[in-house]
Amino acid sequence: MKKKIIFFSLLIVFISCSDKFGSDLSIKIRIPAGFPEINYPDDNQPTKLRIELGRRLFYDNRLSADLTVNCSTCHVPSAAFTDGRTTSTGMSGNGGRRNAPTLANVAWLPYYMMEGGVPTLELQSLAPLHDSVEMGFNVMQMIERLNEDDEIRTLSRLAYNRDTFDAFVLTRSLAAFQRTIISGDTPYDRYITQHQNDALSEQEKRGLDLFFSERTQCGSCHKGIFFSDFDFHNIGLYENYSDPGKERENYKKEDNGKFKTPTLRNIALTGPYMHDGSISSLEEVLLLYNEGGKNHPNKDSRIKPLNLTPTEQADLIAFMKALTDWNFVQNRNLSPPE
Amino acid sequence: MSLKSIASVFILAAALVSCKDKDPEPVEVKKATVELKLDTKWENGDFNLGEVYYDDFTNRIRLDNFMSYFSFMTLTKDDGTEVVIKDFILANLANSTTISAEIEPGTYTGFKMGIGVPADYNTHVDPATYPSSSPLSVAGAQGMFWHWNTGYIFVKFEGKVDTSATEGVDLLNSFSFHVGDDPNFRQYTSNNENFVMKAGETTQIGINFHIDQILASGGNESIDLATDAVTHTSGNPNLAQVFINNMKNCITVD
Repeated sequence: MKKKIIFFSLLIVFISCSDKFGSDLSIKIRIPAGFPEINYPDDNQPTKLRIELGRRLFYDNRLSADLTVNCSTCHVPSAAFTDGRTTSTGMSGNGGRRNAPTLANVAWLPYYMMEGGVPTLELQSLAPLHDSVEMGFNVMQMIERLNEDDEIRTLSRLAYNRDTFDAFVLTRSLAAFQRTIISGDTPYDRYITQHQNDALSEQEKRGLDLFFSERTQCGSCHKGIFFSDFDFHNIGLYENYSDPGKERENYKKEDNGKFKTPTLRNIALTGPYMHDGSISSLEEVLLLYNEGGKNHPNKDSRIKPLNLTPTEQADLIAFMKALTDWNFVQNRNLSPPE
Repeated sequence: MSLKSIASVFILAAALVSCKDKDPEPVEVKKATVELKLDTKWENGDFNLGEVYYDDFTNRIRLDNFMSYFSFMTLTKDDGTEVVIKDFILANLANSTTISAEIEPGTYTGFKMGIGVPADYNTHVDPATYPSSSPLSVAGAQGMFWHWNTGYIFVKFEGKVDTSATEGVDLLNSFSFHVGDDPNFRQYTSNNENFVMKAGETTQIGINFHIDQILASGGNESIDLATDAVTHTSGNPNLAQVFINNMKNCITVD
Protein backbone atom coordinates (compact mmCIF):
# COMPACT_ATOMS: atom_id res chain seq x y z
CA MET A 1 0.00 0.00 0.00
CA LYS A 2 2.84 2.35 0.99
CA LYS A 3 4.58 1.60 -2.33
CA LYS A 4 1.40 2.43 -4.22
CA ILE A 5 1.11 5.78 -2.45
CA ILE A 6 4.73 6.62 -3.30
CA PHE A 7 4.21 5.55 -6.91
CA PHE A 8 1.09 7.69 -7.35
CA SER A 9 2.71 10.65 -5.60
CA LEU A 10 5.65 10.42 -7.99
CA LEU A 11 3.26 10.08 -10.92
CA ILE A 12 1.41 13.23 -9.84
CA VAL A 13 4.69 15.19 -9.55
CA PHE A 14 5.74 13.88 -12.96
CA ILE A 15 2.44 14.79 -14.62
CA SER A 16 2.28 18.22 -13.00
CA CYS A 17 5.87 19.03 -14.07
CA SER A 18 5.18 17.87 -17.63
CA ASP A 19 1.98 19.91 -17.75
CA LYS A 20 3.82 22.97 -16.54
CA PHE A 21 6.28 22.90 -19.43
CA GLY A 22 4.10 21.36 -22.13
CA SER A 23 5.70 19.52 -25.02
CA ASP A 24 8.85 20.78 -26.64
CA LEU A 25 8.77 22.79 -29.86
CA SER A 26 11.40 23.62 -32.47
CA ILE A 27 12.18 27.29 -32.55
CA LYS A 28 13.33 29.47 -35.40
CA ILE A 29 15.74 32.00 -33.93
CA ARG A 30 15.39 35.46 -35.43
CA ILE A 31 18.64 36.47 -37.09
CA PRO A 32 19.41 40.19 -37.52
CA ALA A 33 19.61 41.52 -41.06
CA GLY A 34 23.06 41.03 -42.53
CA PHE A 35 23.99 38.22 -40.12
CA PRO A 36 24.71 34.73 -41.49
CA GLU A 37 22.63 31.72 -40.47
CA ILE A 38 23.66 29.88 -37.32
CA ASN A 39 25.18 26.43 -37.78
CA TYR A 40 23.53 24.43 -35.03
CA PRO A 41 25.07 21.09 -34.04
CA ASP A 42 22.94 18.11 -35.09
CA ASP A 43 22.47 17.08 -31.47
CA ASN A 44 21.48 20.54 -30.29
CA GLN A 45 18.94 22.09 -32.62
CA PRO A 46 17.11 24.95 -30.87
CA THR A 47 13.86 24.16 -29.09
CA LYS A 48 11.77 26.07 -26.59
CA LEU A 49 12.58 23.83 -23.63
CA ARG A 50 16.29 23.42 -24.42
CA ILE A 51 16.66 27.18 -24.35
CA GLU A 52 14.51 27.48 -21.23
CA LEU A 53 16.55 24.86 -19.40
CA GLY A 54 19.77 26.60 -20.45
CA ARG A 55 18.44 29.91 -19.24
CA ARG A 56 17.56 28.47 -15.84
CA LEU A 57 21.01 26.93 -15.48
CA PHE A 58 22.75 30.10 -16.64
CA TYR A 59 21.32 31.95 -13.64
CA ASP A 60 21.53 29.07 -11.14
CA ASN A 61 23.99 29.33 -8.23
CA ARG A 62 23.86 25.57 -7.81
CA LEU A 63 26.38 25.43 -10.64
CA SER A 64 29.10 26.69 -8.30
CA ALA A 65 30.62 24.61 -5.52
CA ASP A 66 29.79 27.08 -2.75
CA LEU A 67 26.44 28.21 -4.23
CA THR A 68 27.61 31.82 -4.57
CA VAL A 69 28.06 32.40 -8.30
CA ASN A 70 26.47 31.50 -11.61
CA CYS A 71 27.22 32.29 -15.25
CA SER A 72 25.58 35.71 -15.00
CA THR A 73 27.95 36.72 -12.20
CA CYS A 74 30.57 37.39 -14.87
CA HIS A 75 28.17 37.81 -17.79
CA VAL A 76 25.63 40.43 -16.72
CA PRO A 77 22.95 41.27 -19.32
CA SER A 78 23.02 45.02 -18.62
CA ALA A 79 26.77 45.08 -19.32
CA ALA A 80 26.29 43.24 -22.62
CA PHE A 81 27.09 40.02 -20.77
CA THR A 82 30.38 41.20 -19.29
CA ASP A 83 30.85 42.22 -15.64
CA GLY A 84 32.50 45.64 -15.58
CA ARG A 85 35.43 44.30 -13.56
CA THR A 86 39.11 44.31 -14.47
CA THR A 87 39.19 40.56 -14.09
CA SER A 88 36.25 38.47 -12.97
CA THR A 89 35.62 37.38 -9.43
CA GLY A 90 34.72 33.74 -9.04
CA MET A 91 33.61 31.53 -6.21
CA SER A 92 34.64 32.59 -2.67
CA GLY A 93 35.82 35.92 -4.05
CA ASN A 94 38.61 34.28 -6.07
CA GLY A 95 40.25 36.71 -8.47
CA GLY A 96 40.18 35.57 -12.08
CA ARG A 97 43.00 35.92 -14.56
CA ARG A 98 41.17 37.54 -17.44
CA ASN A 99 38.56 40.13 -18.26
CA ALA A 100 35.14 38.59 -18.91
CA PRO A 101 34.37 38.59 -22.65
CA THR A 102 30.93 39.52 -23.95
CA LEU A 103 28.62 36.65 -24.86
CA ALA A 104 26.91 38.68 -27.59
CA ASN A 105 26.75 36.61 -30.78
CA VAL A 106 28.74 33.67 -29.40
CA ALA A 107 26.66 31.47 -31.71
CA TRP A 108 28.90 32.54 -34.59
CA LEU A 109 32.31 32.18 -32.96
CA PRO A 110 34.52 29.62 -34.71
CA TYR A 111 36.26 28.76 -31.41
CA TYR A 112 36.17 29.85 -27.80
CA MET A 113 38.49 31.21 -25.09
CA MET A 114 40.99 33.97 -25.81
CA GLU A 115 43.58 31.52 -27.13
CA GLY A 116 40.93 29.74 -29.18
CA GLY A 117 41.52 26.26 -27.79
CA VAL A 118 37.90 25.20 -27.38
CA PRO A 119 36.08 24.33 -30.61
CA THR A 120 32.41 24.34 -29.58
CA LEU A 121 30.08 26.28 -27.33
CA GLU A 122 28.96 23.00 -25.80
CA LEU A 123 32.52 22.18 -24.68
CA GLN A 124 33.17 25.72 -23.58
CA SER A 125 30.50 25.54 -20.90
CA LEU A 126 32.61 23.05 -18.96
CA ALA A 127 35.52 25.50 -18.69
CA PRO A 128 34.24 27.87 -15.98
CA LEU A 129 32.49 25.03 -14.13
CA HIS A 130 35.76 23.15 -13.69
CA ASP A 131 37.98 26.17 -13.13
CA SER A 132 38.97 26.30 -9.47
CA VAL A 133 38.99 30.10 -9.61
CA GLU A 134 35.60 30.48 -11.29
CA MET A 135 32.95 27.96 -10.20
CA GLY A 136 35.34 25.38 -8.80
CA PHE A 137 33.07 22.40 -9.13
CA ASN A 138 33.46 18.74 -9.87
CA VAL A 139 30.88 18.51 -12.65
CA MET A 140 29.63 15.13 -11.49
CA GLN A 141 28.88 16.44 -8.00
CA MET A 142 27.05 19.39 -9.50
CA ILE A 143 25.02 17.05 -11.73
CA GLU A 144 24.11 14.98 -8.69
CA ARG A 145 22.96 18.14 -6.92
CA LEU A 146 20.77 19.26 -9.82
CA ASN A 147 19.29 15.82 -10.30
CA GLU A 148 17.52 16.30 -7.00
CA ASP A 149 15.41 18.99 -8.68
CA ASP A 150 12.21 17.53 -10.20
CA GLU A 151 11.82 20.38 -12.68
CA ILE A 152 15.38 20.07 -13.95
CA ARG A 153 14.90 16.33 -14.46
CA THR A 154 11.58 16.87 -16.21
CA LEU A 155 13.06 19.51 -18.50
CA SER A 156 15.98 17.18 -19.30
CA ARG A 157 13.55 14.49 -20.34
CA LEU A 158 11.28 16.73 -22.36
CA ALA A 159 14.07 18.68 -24.04
CA TYR A 160 16.69 16.02 -24.64
CA ASN A 161 14.88 12.74 -24.00
CA ARG A 162 17.32 11.85 -21.21
CA ASP A 163 16.20 9.97 -18.11
CA THR A 164 18.25 12.21 -15.86
CA PHE A 165 20.07 15.50 -15.96
CA ASP A 166 23.61 14.68 -17.11
CA ALA A 167 26.71 16.24 -18.66
CA PHE A 168 25.16 16.04 -22.11
CA VAL A 169 22.08 17.99 -21.03
CA LEU A 170 24.18 20.46 -19.05
CA THR A 171 26.48 21.35 -21.93
CA ARG A 172 23.79 21.30 -24.62
CA SER A 173 21.24 23.39 -22.78
CA LEU A 174 23.72 26.06 -21.70
CA ALA A 175 24.90 26.31 -25.31
CA ALA A 176 21.30 26.39 -26.59
CA PHE A 177 20.53 29.40 -24.40
CA GLN A 178 23.78 31.18 -25.22
CA ARG A 179 23.04 30.87 -28.94
CA THR A 180 20.05 33.13 -28.33
CA ILE A 181 22.28 35.90 -26.93
CA ILE A 182 22.16 37.83 -30.17
CA SER A 183 22.90 41.49 -30.68
CA GLY A 184 22.45 43.20 -34.04
CA ASP A 185 20.20 46.17 -33.53
CA THR A 186 22.45 49.21 -33.31
CA PRO A 187 22.47 52.62 -35.00
CA TYR A 188 25.30 51.24 -37.15
CA ASP A 189 23.10 48.29 -38.26
CA ARG A 190 20.21 50.62 -39.05
CA TYR A 191 22.56 52.79 -41.10
CA ILE A 192 24.26 49.94 -42.98
CA THR A 193 21.61 47.27 -43.46
CA GLN A 194 18.42 49.34 -43.30
CA HIS A 195 19.94 52.33 -45.07
CA GLN A 196 18.60 54.81 -42.52
CA ASN A 197 20.83 57.71 -43.32
CA ASP A 198 19.98 59.53 -40.12
CA ALA A 199 20.72 56.52 -37.91
CA LEU A 200 24.27 57.82 -37.47
CA SER A 201 25.21 61.40 -36.61
CA GLU A 202 27.72 63.26 -38.76
CA GLN A 203 30.41 62.69 -36.12
CA GLU A 204 29.64 58.96 -36.03
CA LYS A 205 29.84 58.80 -39.83
CA ARG A 206 33.24 60.51 -39.77
CA GLY A 207 34.29 57.95 -37.15
CA LEU A 208 33.02 55.11 -39.35
CA ASP A 209 35.06 56.33 -42.32
CA LEU A 210 38.15 56.66 -40.18
CA PHE A 211 37.59 53.23 -38.61
CA PHE A 212 37.58 51.49 -42.00
CA SER A 213 40.29 53.71 -43.52
CA GLU A 214 43.73 52.60 -44.72
CA ARG A 215 45.15 55.09 -42.26
CA THR A 216 43.87 53.49 -39.05
CA GLN A 217 43.17 49.95 -40.37
CA CYS A 218 40.94 49.34 -37.33
CA GLY A 219 38.56 47.52 -39.61
CA SER A 220 41.19 45.13 -40.91
CA CYS A 221 41.07 43.15 -37.66
CA HIS A 222 37.72 44.32 -36.32
CA LYS A 223 36.09 43.39 -39.58
CA GLY A 224 32.82 42.10 -40.93
CA ILE A 225 29.42 42.04 -39.35
CA PHE A 226 30.90 40.88 -36.03
CA PHE A 227 33.75 43.36 -35.97
CA SER A 228 36.31 40.58 -35.59
CA ASP A 229 38.52 38.54 -37.89
CA PHE A 230 38.54 35.85 -35.17
CA ASP A 231 42.32 35.73 -35.60
CA PHE A 232 45.01 36.22 -32.96
CA HIS A 233 47.10 39.36 -32.68
CA ASN A 234 49.66 40.96 -30.43
CA ILE A 235 48.78 44.63 -30.27
CA GLY A 236 51.77 45.82 -28.24
CA LEU A 237 49.93 46.12 -24.95
CA TYR A 238 53.09 45.06 -23.07
CA GLU A 239 56.76 44.52 -23.70
CA ASN A 240 56.48 41.37 -21.58
CA TYR A 241 53.19 39.52 -21.25
CA SER A 242 52.49 37.67 -18.02
CA ASP A 243 49.64 35.91 -19.84
CA PRO A 244 51.14 34.16 -22.89
CA GLY A 245 47.86 34.19 -24.84
CA LYS A 246 47.87 31.94 -27.90
CA GLU A 247 51.30 30.58 -26.93
CA ARG A 248 49.64 28.87 -23.99
CA GLU A 249 47.74 26.68 -26.42
CA ASN A 250 50.34 25.98 -29.12
CA TYR A 251 53.66 26.61 -27.29
CA LYS A 252 54.90 28.82 -30.14
CA LYS A 253 57.01 31.78 -29.05
CA GLU A 254 55.85 33.69 -32.10
CA ASP A 255 52.33 33.58 -30.68
CA ASN A 256 53.28 35.02 -27.30
CA GLY A 257 50.96 37.88 -26.38
CA LYS A 258 48.47 37.13 -29.14
CA PHE A 259 44.78 37.09 -28.25
CA LYS A 260 41.65 36.53 -30.29
CA THR A 261 40.27 39.76 -31.76
CA PRO A 262 37.25 40.67 -29.63
CA THR A 263 34.06 41.96 -31.19
CA LEU A 264 33.47 45.69 -30.85
CA ARG A 265 29.70 45.35 -30.70
CA ASN A 266 28.46 46.98 -27.47
CA ILE A 267 32.02 48.08 -26.76
CA ALA A 268 30.79 51.12 -24.82
CA LEU A 269 29.23 48.74 -22.29
CA THR A 270 31.98 46.15 -21.99
CA GLY A 271 34.84 48.01 -20.33
CA PRO A 272 37.37 47.75 -18.87
CA TYR A 273 39.25 46.58 -21.94
CA MET A 274 41.98 44.19 -23.08
CA HIS A 275 42.41 40.54 -22.10
CA ASP A 276 43.32 41.56 -18.57
CA GLY A 277 41.01 44.56 -18.22
CA SER A 278 44.03 46.80 -17.79
CA ILE A 279 42.59 49.76 -19.70
CA SER A 280 39.56 51.38 -18.18
CA SER A 281 38.21 53.63 -20.93
CA LEU A 282 37.85 53.77 -24.69
CA GLU A 283 39.83 57.01 -24.68
CA GLU A 284 42.81 55.23 -23.13
CA VAL A 285 42.47 52.34 -25.59
CA LEU A 286 42.65 54.81 -28.43
CA LEU A 287 45.69 56.42 -26.84
CA LEU A 288 47.50 53.06 -26.93
CA TYR A 289 46.75 52.63 -30.63
CA ASN A 290 47.48 56.27 -31.44
CA GLU A 291 50.95 55.90 -29.94
CA GLY A 292 51.56 52.63 -31.78
CA GLY A 293 51.67 50.30 -28.79
CA LYS A 294 54.73 49.07 -26.92
CA ASN A 295 57.61 47.22 -28.48
CA HIS A 296 57.21 43.49 -28.74
CA PRO A 297 58.72 41.12 -31.32
CA ASN A 298 55.26 39.70 -32.11
CA LYS A 299 53.48 43.03 -32.43
CA ASP A 300 51.21 43.20 -35.47
CA SER A 301 52.79 45.33 -38.21
CA ARG A 302 49.62 47.37 -38.51
CA ILE A 303 50.04 48.72 -34.99
CA LYS A 304 52.00 51.94 -35.48
CA PRO A 305 51.59 55.59 -34.48
CA LEU A 306 48.42 56.99 -36.06
CA ASN A 307 48.83 60.68 -35.25
CA LEU A 308 45.10 61.11 -34.81
CA THR A 309 43.95 64.57 -33.80
CA PRO A 310 41.74 64.94 -30.70
CA THR A 311 38.75 65.50 -33.03
CA GLU A 312 39.50 62.33 -34.96
CA GLN A 313 39.82 60.37 -31.75
CA ALA A 314 36.47 61.74 -30.59
CA ASP A 315 34.93 60.76 -33.94
CA LEU A 316 36.22 57.20 -33.62
CA ILE A 317 34.86 56.89 -30.10
CA ALA A 318 31.49 58.30 -31.19
CA PHE A 319 31.37 55.62 -33.90
CA MET A 320 32.22 52.86 -31.47
CA LYS A 321 29.44 54.05 -29.16
CA ALA A 322 27.07 53.69 -32.09
CA LEU A 323 27.71 49.95 -31.88
CA THR A 324 25.55 49.79 -28.75
CA ASP A 325 22.39 47.69 -28.89
CA TRP A 326 20.08 48.96 -26.15
CA ASN A 327 17.29 46.53 -27.03
CA PHE A 328 19.73 43.67 -26.57
CA VAL A 329 20.70 44.59 -23.01
CA GLN A 330 17.03 44.93 -22.06
CA ASN A 331 15.87 41.75 -23.80
CA ARG A 332 13.60 40.00 -21.28
CA ASN A 333 14.11 36.65 -23.00
CA LEU A 334 17.71 36.80 -21.85
CA SER A 335 17.01 37.88 -18.29
CA PRO A 336 16.74 35.56 -15.28
CA PRO A 337 13.68 33.29 -15.28
CA GLU A 338 10.85 34.58 -13.09
CA MET B 1 -13.57 -26.49 -42.26
CA SER B 2 -14.69 -28.64 -39.37
CA LEU B 3 -13.03 -28.56 -35.98
CA LYS B 4 -11.77 -32.10 -36.61
CA SER B 5 -10.06 -31.06 -39.88
CA ILE B 6 -8.38 -28.08 -38.24
CA ALA B 7 -7.07 -30.29 -35.43
CA SER B 8 -5.66 -32.75 -38.02
CA VAL B 9 -3.80 -29.94 -39.82
CA PHE B 10 -2.20 -28.79 -36.57
CA ILE B 11 -1.19 -32.32 -35.58
CA LEU B 12 0.43 -32.84 -39.00
CA ALA B 13 2.22 -29.53 -38.81
CA ALA B 14 3.51 -30.34 -35.35
CA ALA B 15 4.75 -33.71 -36.55
CA LEU B 16 6.54 -32.09 -39.51
CA VAL B 17 8.26 -29.57 -37.32
CA SER B 18 9.41 -32.20 -34.84
CA CYS B 19 10.69 -34.51 -37.63
CA LYS B 20 12.78 -31.75 -39.27
CA ASP B 21 16.50 -32.12 -38.75
CA LYS B 22 17.65 -30.10 -35.81
CA ASP B 23 20.41 -27.50 -36.34
CA PRO B 24 23.69 -28.88 -35.10
CA GLU B 25 24.56 -27.73 -31.60
CA PRO B 26 27.24 -25.04 -31.77
CA VAL B 27 30.55 -26.40 -30.64
CA GLU B 28 31.74 -24.36 -27.73
CA VAL B 29 35.32 -23.24 -28.28
CA LYS B 30 36.91 -22.93 -24.91
CA LYS B 31 38.63 -19.61 -24.40
CA ALA B 32 41.72 -18.67 -22.49
CA THR B 33 41.64 -15.90 -19.91
CA VAL B 34 44.26 -13.19 -19.91
CA GLU B 35 44.79 -10.77 -17.07
CA LEU B 36 46.80 -7.60 -17.65
CA LYS B 37 48.05 -6.48 -14.24
CA LEU B 38 49.24 -2.88 -14.02
CA ASP B 39 51.63 -2.43 -11.13
CA THR B 40 54.13 0.10 -9.83
CA LYS B 41 57.71 -0.71 -8.79
CA TRP B 42 60.66 1.05 -7.18
CA GLU B 43 64.04 -0.44 -8.06
CA ASN B 44 62.34 -3.76 -8.86
CA GLY B 45 60.65 -3.93 -5.47
CA ASP B 46 57.05 -3.02 -4.76
CA PHE B 47 56.18 0.65 -4.76
CA ASN B 48 53.63 2.03 -2.34
CA LEU B 49 51.88 5.30 -2.86
CA GLY B 50 52.26 7.59 0.13
CA GLU B 51 55.61 6.11 1.21
CA VAL B 52 58.80 8.19 1.06
CA TYR B 53 61.58 7.17 -1.36
CA TYR B 54 64.98 8.63 -2.30
CA ASP B 55 65.38 9.34 -5.99
CA ASP B 56 68.64 9.49 -8.00
CA PHE B 57 69.15 13.10 -6.94
CA THR B 58 68.71 12.15 -3.26
CA ASN B 59 65.45 14.05 -3.17
CA ARG B 60 63.00 12.51 -0.72
CA ILE B 61 59.76 12.05 -2.59
CA ARG B 62 56.27 10.92 -1.81
CA LEU B 63 53.93 10.19 -4.70
CA ASP B 64 50.30 10.91 -3.79
CA ASN B 65 48.49 10.54 -7.09
CA PHE B 66 49.31 8.67 -10.29
CA MET B 67 46.50 8.44 -12.84
CA SER B 68 46.97 7.58 -16.48
CA TYR B 69 45.00 6.82 -19.61
CA PHE B 70 45.98 3.77 -21.62
CA SER B 71 44.47 2.97 -24.97
CA PHE B 72 44.03 -0.03 -27.22
CA MET B 73 45.90 -2.54 -25.06
CA THR B 74 46.58 -5.20 -27.64
CA LEU B 75 48.12 -8.66 -27.76
CA THR B 76 49.63 -9.94 -31.00
CA LYS B 77 49.35 -13.62 -31.83
CA ASP B 78 52.20 -15.54 -33.43
CA ASP B 79 50.32 -15.47 -36.75
CA GLY B 80 50.18 -11.66 -36.59
CA THR B 81 46.55 -11.40 -35.50
CA GLU B 82 45.94 -8.54 -33.12
CA VAL B 83 43.48 -8.83 -30.25
CA VAL B 84 42.40 -5.66 -28.49
CA ILE B 85 42.02 -6.47 -24.81
CA LYS B 86 40.82 -3.01 -23.78
CA ASP B 87 40.10 0.09 -25.84
CA PHE B 88 40.45 2.73 -23.12
CA ILE B 89 41.16 2.65 -19.45
CA LEU B 90 41.83 5.38 -16.93
CA ALA B 91 44.01 3.58 -14.43
CA ASN B 92 44.61 4.72 -10.91
CA LEU B 93 48.14 3.42 -10.56
CA ALA B 94 47.96 3.97 -6.82
CA ASN B 95 46.27 0.60 -6.78
CA SER B 96 47.20 -2.47 -8.71
CA THR B 97 44.76 -2.62 -11.63
CA THR B 98 43.82 -5.83 -13.41
CA ILE B 99 42.08 -6.02 -16.78
CA SER B 100 40.71 -9.41 -17.79
CA ALA B 101 39.51 -10.70 -21.11
CA GLU B 102 38.72 -13.99 -22.76
CA ILE B 103 40.72 -14.63 -25.90
CA GLU B 104 41.52 -17.40 -28.34
CA PRO B 105 44.05 -19.89 -26.94
CA GLY B 106 47.44 -19.78 -28.60
CA THR B 107 50.84 -18.19 -28.42
CA TYR B 108 51.04 -14.44 -28.26
CA THR B 109 54.33 -12.79 -29.08
CA GLY B 110 53.68 -9.11 -28.60
CA PHE B 111 51.96 -6.55 -26.44
CA LYS B 112 51.33 -2.89 -27.19
CA MET B 113 49.34 -0.03 -25.75
CA GLY B 114 49.01 3.71 -26.11
CA ILE B 115 50.00 5.90 -23.20
CA GLY B 116 47.35 8.59 -23.34
CA VAL B 117 44.47 9.02 -25.78
CA PRO B 118 45.17 8.87 -29.53
CA ALA B 119 44.56 12.05 -31.54
CA ASP B 120 41.35 10.78 -33.17
CA TYR B 121 39.79 10.43 -29.74
CA ASN B 122 41.53 13.30 -28.03
CA THR B 123 41.12 16.76 -29.50
CA HIS B 124 37.82 17.98 -30.92
CA VAL B 125 36.05 15.31 -28.93
CA ASP B 126 33.29 16.23 -26.52
CA PRO B 127 33.44 14.11 -23.33
CA ALA B 128 29.75 14.88 -22.70
CA THR B 129 28.77 12.77 -25.71
CA TYR B 130 30.12 9.52 -24.22
CA PRO B 131 27.94 7.35 -21.98
CA SER B 132 28.97 7.78 -18.36
CA SER B 133 30.31 4.21 -18.30
CA SER B 134 33.11 5.22 -20.69
CA PRO B 135 36.45 6.36 -19.25
CA LEU B 136 36.33 9.15 -21.82
CA SER B 137 33.02 10.55 -20.50
CA VAL B 138 32.77 13.51 -18.12
CA ALA B 139 32.02 11.07 -15.31
CA GLY B 140 34.67 8.55 -16.36
CA ALA B 141 37.41 11.10 -16.95
CA GLN B 142 37.30 12.24 -13.31
CA GLY B 143 38.61 15.65 -14.28
CA MET B 144 41.31 14.26 -16.59
CA PHE B 145 40.60 16.69 -19.42
CA TRP B 146 41.61 20.29 -19.95
CA HIS B 147 38.86 22.79 -19.39
CA TRP B 148 40.36 25.77 -21.24
CA ASN B 149 41.50 23.70 -24.19
CA THR B 150 40.52 20.47 -25.88
CA GLY B 151 41.92 17.09 -25.07
CA TYR B 152 42.47 14.74 -22.19
CA ILE B 153 45.16 14.92 -19.53
CA PHE B 154 46.98 11.69 -20.30
CA VAL B 155 48.83 11.42 -17.01
CA LYS B 156 48.66 13.07 -13.61
CA PHE B 157 51.69 12.42 -11.38
CA GLU B 158 51.58 14.44 -8.17
CA GLY B 159 53.17 14.42 -4.76
CA LYS B 160 55.52 16.09 -2.31
CA VAL B 161 59.29 16.42 -2.25
CA ASP B 162 62.05 17.45 0.14
CA THR B 163 65.21 18.38 -1.71
CA SER B 164 67.39 18.73 1.40
CA ALA B 165 67.80 14.95 1.66
CA THR B 166 67.39 15.21 5.41
CA GLU B 167 65.66 12.33 7.11
CA GLY B 168 62.64 13.41 9.10
CA VAL B 169 62.23 16.79 7.45
CA ASP B 170 58.70 17.53 6.25
CA LEU B 171 58.13 17.24 2.53
CA LEU B 172 57.03 20.77 1.90
CA ASN B 173 57.35 21.24 -1.83
CA SER B 174 54.83 19.94 -4.33
CA PHE B 175 55.52 18.36 -7.66
CA SER B 176 52.87 18.04 -10.32
CA PHE B 177 53.10 16.65 -13.83
CA HIS B 178 49.96 16.95 -15.96
CA VAL B 179 50.84 15.67 -19.40
CA GLY B 180 48.59 15.68 -22.44
CA ASP B 181 48.30 16.99 -26.00
CA ASP B 182 48.57 14.96 -29.21
CA PRO B 183 52.36 15.20 -29.67
CA ASN B 184 52.81 13.61 -26.24
CA PHE B 185 50.83 10.48 -27.05
CA ARG B 186 53.20 7.52 -26.85
CA GLN B 187 52.94 3.97 -28.14
CA TYR B 188 54.56 1.30 -25.98
CA THR B 189 55.39 -1.91 -27.83
CA SER B 190 56.97 -5.08 -26.54
CA ASN B 191 57.84 -7.80 -29.08
CA ASN B 192 59.53 -11.18 -28.77
CA GLU B 193 57.27 -12.19 -25.94
CA ASN B 194 56.06 -15.74 -25.45
CA PHE B 195 52.70 -15.75 -23.74
CA VAL B 196 51.11 -19.16 -24.10
CA MET B 197 47.39 -18.97 -23.46
CA LYS B 198 45.75 -22.31 -22.79
CA ALA B 199 42.04 -23.00 -23.08
CA GLY B 200 40.31 -22.81 -19.74
CA GLU B 201 43.37 -21.39 -18.02
CA THR B 202 44.24 -17.91 -16.83
CA THR B 203 47.51 -16.26 -17.79
CA GLN B 204 48.64 -13.11 -16.05
CA ILE B 205 50.81 -10.52 -17.80
CA GLY B 206 52.46 -7.97 -15.57
CA ILE B 207 52.83 -4.44 -16.90
CA ASN B 208 55.18 -2.75 -14.50
CA PHE B 209 55.90 0.96 -14.12
CA HIS B 210 59.28 1.58 -12.51
CA ILE B 211 58.72 4.91 -10.80
CA ASP B 212 62.42 5.35 -9.96
CA GLN B 213 63.20 5.38 -13.69
CA ILE B 214 60.68 8.16 -14.41
CA LEU B 215 62.68 10.38 -12.05
CA ALA B 216 66.05 9.04 -13.15
CA SER B 217 69.19 11.13 -13.55
CA GLY B 218 71.40 11.20 -16.58
CA GLY B 219 71.32 12.68 -20.05
CA ASN B 220 68.50 14.67 -21.53
CA GLU B 221 65.88 12.55 -19.87
CA SER B 222 66.65 13.38 -16.26
CA ILE B 223 64.05 14.96 -14.04
CA ASP B 224 65.35 16.56 -10.86
CA LEU B 225 62.38 17.60 -8.74
CA ALA B 226 64.52 20.31 -7.16
CA THR B 227 64.35 22.24 -10.43
CA ASP B 228 61.77 20.51 -12.63
CA ALA B 229 58.77 20.00 -10.44
CA VAL B 230 55.78 21.32 -12.38
CA THR B 231 54.38 21.04 -15.85
CA HIS B 232 50.81 21.34 -17.05
CA THR B 233 52.20 20.61 -20.53
CA SER B 234 51.43 24.19 -21.50
CA GLY B 235 53.95 26.42 -19.82
CA ASN B 236 56.65 23.73 -19.78
CA PRO B 237 56.11 21.48 -22.80
CA ASN B 238 59.72 20.25 -22.79
CA LEU B 239 59.40 18.85 -19.29
CA ALA B 240 56.10 17.22 -20.26
CA GLN B 241 57.86 15.53 -23.17
CA VAL B 242 60.73 14.27 -21.00
CA PHE B 243 58.22 12.92 -18.47
CA ILE B 244 56.16 11.00 -21.00
CA ASN B 245 59.30 9.60 -22.64
CA ASN B 246 60.53 8.42 -19.26
CA MET B 247 57.16 6.93 -18.48
CA LYS B 248 57.21 4.97 -21.72
CA ASN B 249 60.76 3.79 -21.05
CA CYS B 250 60.08 2.77 -17.45
CA ILE B 251 57.65 0.01 -18.46
CA THR B 252 58.53 -3.67 -18.35
CA VAL B 253 56.29 -6.56 -19.28
CA ASP B 254 56.56 -10.00 -17.73
